[in-house]
Amino acid sequence: MSSQAGAHEVEWHTSVWPLLLSVGILFFVPLAFTFHFVYKNSLMAMISLGVGAPLTIASIIGWVKEGLEDSHHYGEGHVVWAMPIFILAEALLFMGFFAAYWFLRFSAPSWPPQGTPELSHTLPLIMTVILVSSSFTIHFAENKLEEGNNSGFIVWLIATIALGLVFLGLEAYEWAELIGEGFTTKTNIFSTAFYSITGFHGSHVLVGMATFLFILIPAFAGKINKHFVTAASMYWHFVDIVWLFVLSQIYFL
Amino acid sequence: MSSATVGNSGKFSLYEWIFTTDHKRVAVLYMIGSYAAFFVAGLMAMLMRTELATVGPTITDNPTTYHVWLYFHGAAMIVAYMIPALTGYFANYYVPLMIGAKDVAFPRLNAFSVWLFWMAIILALLTFVIPDPPDIMWTGYPPYSVMTAGNTAFYTFTVLLLGFSSITGGINLITTIVRMRAPGVTWGKLNMYIWCVLSAFIIQMVFVPFLGDAVIMLILDKYLGTNFFNAAMGGSALLYENIFWAYSHPAVYVILLPAMGILFEIVSTFSKNRIFIYKGAVYAGVMGTMAMAGEVWVHHLGTSGNPEWLVTIQVFTTLLISVPVGILMISLVGTLYKGSIEFKTPMLYAVGFMFLFLIGGLTGIPNAMSAIYLHVHGTQWITAHFHYVMAVSMTTAIIGGTYFIWPKLTGKMYNETLGKLGFYLFFVGVNCTFFPWLYLGYLGMPRRYYDYAQFPQFQPLQQFITYSSYLIFVAGLVILFSWLHSLFKGEKAPDNPWGARSLDWTHTETPPPPGNFKEPVTLPADWDPYDYSKK
Repeated sequence: MSSQAGAHEVEWHTSVWPLLLSVGILFFVPLAFTFHFVYKNSLMAMISLGVGAPLTIASIIGWVKEGLEDSHHYGEGHVVWAMPIFILAEALLFMGFFAAYWFLRFSAPSWPPQGTPELSHTLPLIMTVILVSSSFTIHFAENKLEEGNNSGFIVWLIATIALGLVFLGLEAYEWAELIGEGFTTKTNIFSTAFYSITGFHGSHVLVGMATFLFILIPAFAGKINKHFVTAASMYWHFVDIVWLFVLSQIYFL
Repeated sequence: MSSATVGNSGKFSLYEWIFTTDHKRVAVLYMIGSYAAFFVAGLMAMLMRTELATVGPTITDNPTTYHVWLYFHGAAMIVAYMIPALTGYFANYYVPLMIGAKDVAFPRLNAFSVWLFWMAIILALLTFVIPDPPDIMWTGYPPYSVMTAGNTAFYTFTVLLLGFSSITGGINLITTIVRMRAPGVTWGKLNMYIWCVLSAFIIQMVFVPFLGDAVIMLILDKYLGTNFFNAAMGGSALLYENIFWAYSHPAVYVILLPAMGILFEIVSTFSKNRIFIYKGAVYAGVMGTMAMAGEVWVHHLGTSGNPEWLVTIQVFTTLLISVPVGILMISLVGTLYKGSIEFKTPMLYAVGFMFLFLIGGLTGIPNAMSAIYLHVHGTQWITAHFHYVMAVSMTTAIIGGTYFIWPKLTGKMYNETLGKLGFYLFFVGVNCTFFPWLYLGYLGMPRRYYDYAQFPQFQPLQQFITYSSYLIFVAGLVILFSWLHSLFKGEKAPDNPWGARSLDWTHTETPPPPGNFKEPVTLPADWDPYDYSKK
């Protein structure tokens, strides 16, 4: 591309990844879900997953690679402005679920509804400590990057991902325990809110970790874009803050 | 051939279109997708109208078939035609050109948005081949949507793909407007379209997530056994209606504001005139609408059993929001005042809008009163009202806007006679369709019915409406023909055929090359996109 800033462009830019990613998502989520849950056709569901999952992952890899070697960016650091807008939308997504939870809770004759076991308060507090410390580790990682210490950055980033994994592991353990006690999505309206809100939050932790993974792998080869790191850590802090709402409203109130 | 279609190698290249990240080409992909959705959803309307031409079964005796048509018509018209056309196609084309930017902030994300939209269209079209297609209107109300044998998952995922596409598109264009304006394009001198579309995107960022919540809860309930909407277990169907309309009412402004923005550009250009009360229109009209968009949703649920205090409050907010919208209308009409008006095809559509939107708005005011609403809610009065205010008015902006940017977009002029013919057929068609429709609703014709055996006296008027609706379809074909005619036979368009003053016309070639502007844009201090007083 042109080296002088602002020179007239002569080429139509292209990228294959956006289209491939959207096709991947179509197979990965809507079609696989529909074949499995609506038409009960396991074979077609597996085929959809088999097409969709690799295509989605490959497209993200390709996209990230292209982004790091960016041939046609129109200015640096837009992502740091865009991420807060995305976070606004995400926050409202959670707000909808919490609003539904309180709507149902206020219209219930008694709370907690019948069939709800005593929830452990210790486990969620441990999970909180883990997730909050992961916000600190990613902050340390950013500091290291600022100092130009790439290996320090990588170490703290790995620590963050590890803490995220432990968090998800504990959540899976808690779910397994509760389901073992017969407390499932179908039990009552609290189980509905509990599984959908914690599950929804957990899926966001997973997305945050995936984002970090796509920063970590190229970082081994020395390719780091500071703006992407800032944006990803903003997202991680957001997921952390949402957990505090989950903790206070689902477990303690 | 012009550079709009010619690739890097000097020839048309399909590869460079499909994998493009250029905002102008992405806009064209949005345009093709949204007009395709318009066409298929329009066919569904024709089928429904044909069914209603006579009392009793006409072309189907299966109410579910009729409801599948109704599902597709409503869902596709709103989320696959109007929203993508106004916030995808026009926004992508106009925004970088009007603010003097080379492209959007995230070109690849932009391509991703348009292809997600296309995937949603593919999913929606699969409706016609899958067993048990969705039959739940565009609203998907439980408990029916949870209990039906129809495929509610397809509805949910179509909505989710489009919603995600809206979110990524919105983030992209908000960032572009905030960060990439050329020096001299200050906030006080933005085109009306930019203000309108920025507000529409902010509304989307805030409210699309609620739609996502509603439809996710729907499939959780249907396929994973949760109890959000299951009254037997303490859930509530009213919850869905509230969350759904918390998005779907603001969506009306996501559609209205960009449409108004396009009309401002058209009216100002063809009157060679400033925007009447620009500041009032921006700060009171656009921002007032944006601020109040989220406080009126309950007027869709006046008969659903919401608490009385909530309904009463929202009667007031509903009446109140007609004030900022009214200011926008006054500004639009005032822009004509002392202008030098030229009735080219886009201007005809803009004037047509003023008339149609007035009928839509005036029939809306009585609906806001909950006491009247109780009686008209279940009738065709409501469908006629929102077809005037949404469907027909917004379509004048989309089609008129397409004629307006056609020379820039394609590099070809269209035939003025064909354009005007299309407009008059359309205008007569929609009024002959929807005015009697209002009257039938007033007499008590229920909406959503595929048969009206209890009202045989309505048959003559229903037949008249059906024939009139065919006229709209013919108008659509004439309009399509005028565009195809222009593509193949049209004269080459000059850079600024309308004599407009905004950047998209004055500083670009027709059609604009990659990177849009030959030189980075810098503007003198006295530049103004609506300054028609200077020679």
